[in-house]
Formats: sequence, structure tokens, C-alpha cells
Amino acid sequence: MNAPRPESAPPAPAGSFLRRIAWHWRHDEKCELWIGWWTLVVFYNLYGLLFFVITRTQPPPEPSLDPMEVVQWFGDRRHGLLYGYALVFIVGGATAIMNATLAYSIRRMSVSRAFAYSYLVIYALATLPGMLLMGVACTVGAMRPDRDPAVMSWLYDLAFLSFEGTMGVFLIGSLIWMAAVLLDENGVFPKWFGYLNLCNALTEVVVAPAWIFQSGAFAWDGSIAWWINMGVFVIYTTAFLTLLRRMILREDFGTGPLPELATDPAAGSAP
Amino acid sequence: MPRRADGEVLLLWTLPVLGVVWLSAFLLFPGFVEPMSPTMSAEQVAAFYRDPQNLPRIRYSMIAFNWFAVGLIPILALIVLQIRRMAHRTPIFSYAMIACAAGGPTIFLMANLFWLLAAFRPERDPELTLLLNDLAWVTFSSQVGFLIAQSVILAVAIHLDRQERPVFPRWVAHFNVVVAALLIPAAFTGAALTGPVAWDGVLTFWVRNLAIGLWIAVMAAVLARAIGRQRAEDEAAAA
Repeated sequence: MNAPRPESAPPAPAGSFLRRIAWHWRHDEKCELWIGWWTLVVFYNLYGLLFFVITRTQPPPEPSLDPMEVVQWFGDRRHGLLYGYALVFIVGGATAIMNATLAYSIRRMSVSRAFAYSYLVIYALATLPGMLLMGVACTVGAMRPDRDPAVMSWLYDLAFLSFEGTMGVFLIGSLIWMAAVLLDENGVFPKWFGYLNLCNALTEVVVAPAWIFQSGAFAWDGSIAWWINMGVFVIYTTAFLTLLRRMILREDFGTGPLPELATDPAAGSAP
Repeated sequence: MPRRADGEVLLLWTLPVLGVVWLSAFLLFPGFVEPMSPTMSAEQVAAFYRDPQNLPRIRYSMIAFNWFAVGLIPILALIVLQIRRMAHRTPIFSYAMIACAAGGPTIFLMANLFWLLAAFRPERDPELTLLLNDLAWVTFSSQVGFLIAQSVILAVAIHLDRQERPVFPRWVAHFNVVVAALLIPAAFTGAALTGPVAWDGVLTFWVRNLAIGLWIAVMAAVLARAIGRQRAEDEAAAA
């Protein structure tokens, strides 16, 4: 990250999609940032597809199923679980580049590097209890349909409680991002996004009763623990993807305030 | 500052020692040399852990892995430092590599804990020993995500390292793409109890583990060259 590129790049071609991608790969000085941004966009969509459609583990089923019903639950979606989570395992490491890109946005702010580093480490460790452990539990459950139902019930709890009940990393991670946005004088993100981080952090607080209640609004499939959580998460993700794209368009690779976009939205060169 | 690179050479020389420890622990664990079959019944799995010939070998090999699994992290940190020397505009790739360096060994440690737990009370209900054994093998075999990401990140980072003398030669990028591809089938471990993707299968066990071993050896060699060159440049600058 020390040598600037030669600045004599030819203008972006107007040709096919592939030719435009090739141009950005060869000449766009923001190529690294766009790789990070597109990884975020593609993988959030892919994770949505894998969790909601292929494995059918979201929205979550009821925590109150008895062991025989749990065995039935695993049996009903056996191949979806086995193949869906295999795909999650293959692409799961993409979270590293996603979190690195978000950590870079914090590094671009006028705050201590401690914020970016904490964010990076917190979200790197979150992947394991927050996502991969659920995949392991569902795979182990689905691979032997004749397993003791009591053990299946334990795997079912492990899957959903590790996924939803891993709270602190997202709670503290969001608060660190919030503090960085509010302290930042480079205008990387608008201040309202700082407060949106607070909303996201609060959803992790209201999830806590999922560790206690086996049914009702506070249970892991309940209207409070799941639906509000998911609603805020979708708004939050959409907001930061949009803001991150604007940040990349505005990026000047300096350390001072980020310049504002020219009024003509076509002036940017987003691929 | 030549002393800085000297410290890096020291870290790099921990790798042959680590390799010997890993290989010894691998040979010591009775479930690896002829990998345990996923088709074993709960009683057979329990008998494997209860066998007085196996039990100490399971425990000692897994204790050794527990001690030395994270020994690879300093080597990954050296790769992070080489990524930082590349002609990039942002630290995104070195950040992402740090995230992978934390993820991969942690996952291996989880599998290690499940194996040690299964061996801790071999008299446990066979259904529970089977569960711990499944959790260990599935975690160990299927969790290739960070390893794949690490190779893809390196490949992209090397391609974007556009300078007169790139940090790593271009073929290292291609090599990493091949390794990433070889790791993919192991993710499907859970889907088959027999055949090449089962956890004792050719693709999931042998190809995957040999690919990881080869990756470590090749990356260590190119790392040694890059650090050597860096040291020579530092010395020339200091003279």
C-alpha cells in the first residue's frame, strides 16, 4: 500500500459488462475498495438465499418442539441443510474481506486506529459462534437421521441459540462503529448512521431473553427477539452498503475530510 | 533496520519445528493414519475411545495439537507483512488476512476440544461419544472457508501488486487459486458417509490435508525468499 499507480489510465470503455470489469481491474485505483464492496453486496444476498431458501433455517422454527418433532424438522430439510451449509462453509471466509472493508471505512475516519482494529477483530471472531457453529450443528444433526432424539434436540438448540444468542460481538461492534462515526471529523459517514448503530446494538439487548423463554414474543422465533431484530438488520445493512458506496466514490486516498460528490451523480465511476 | 528482518527469519525458522510436531501428532493419533470411518456405529466409536491402546495416543496427540495448532499464526503474520509491502492503495487485503489468521486455527482448536472431550470420559453413553466424535470430524473437515478465503485474498493481492519487482511472483497467485479449488469438496463432508467427500474420503481427507501441507511449504519458501530480499535491500539502504 505504498506505491501509487501510474495515472495515465485510458478512459473507461462503454462496452460490455466484462470489458468494463476488466478495465476497473486493470486501471481503477479504487479497485480494492470495489472488490470489498461487491463482496459485501454479493455475499449478503447469497447468505440470505442460503439461510432463507436453501437451508430453510430462517425464519427460525419454534424452540418448543419436542425431540421427535426436532427429528422430523431435521428430516424435512435434510439435503437443504447438508448442501446449503456446505456452500456456507465454502464462502464463509468471505466475511474476512467484508469486515476488512468496513474496518477500512473506520480507518479513513479521523479517529484512533484502535476503533478499526477492534471492529476487525470483533467481527472476525463473531463468524465462528455467530454463523459457522450453527452450520456444524445442523450438519451433524442432518447427517445421521437415526441419532438419539434427545441428542438431536441438543443440536437444534445449539444451532439456533449460537446463531441468535451470540450477542456481545454485535453489541460492542456496533457501539464501536457508532462512537467512531460520531467522533469522526472527516465526514466519512453521516451522523445519523452513528445513531442507527445504536438501534442495531439495542436489538442485541432485546435478543437476550431468547436464552430464557421457550415460547412467546421473546423466544428465539418471537416477534421481538427475531422479527424486530431482522427488520432493523435489513435497514442497517442497506444503509451502510449505500453509505459505503458513496464513501468509495468520494475517496481521495488522503487523510483529511472526504470530498463531497459532484452534483452530477454520473461523474463517479462506479463499476 | 536489519534487525527487524532478523526477527522475521527467526519466526520463519519455527516452521520446520512446527512441521515435525504436527506430523508426529498426526501419526500418533490413531484416527488419522487410517482415517476413522463415518459409517462406524455409536458402539464402535465408543470402543475406539475405550481401547486402552488408543486412549493415551488420542489424548497425547490432541494435547500436542492443542499446544501447537496456533503455532502457524506467526507465519500467517509474516504473510500479512508481505501483503503490506505490496503496491496497494489500501490495507484491505492485509486486514482480511489478519481476520483469516484468527479464524482458521480457532476452528481447528474447536475440533481438537471435541476430540479431547470424547477421550476424557470414554465410559460415557456411546450416543454422546458419537456426537462428540461427529462434531470433531465435521468441524475439522468441513471448515475450509477461512483457508479458501486466505488463498483467494492472496491471489487477488498478488495480481494487484503492480510494481517493478512484485513481492511474490505471479505463479504464487495461480498456485493459491489451485489450492483454494482443492479445498472446496471437503465442505460437503456431511453429505456423504462413504465415498470421496466423506470425512475419510480421498478428497476430503487426503487431498485437502495434503493441499494444506503443500500450501504451508510453498508459502514458507516464497516467504523466505521475500524476506531474504527485503533484508538485502535493508542492508543496502543502511550501508
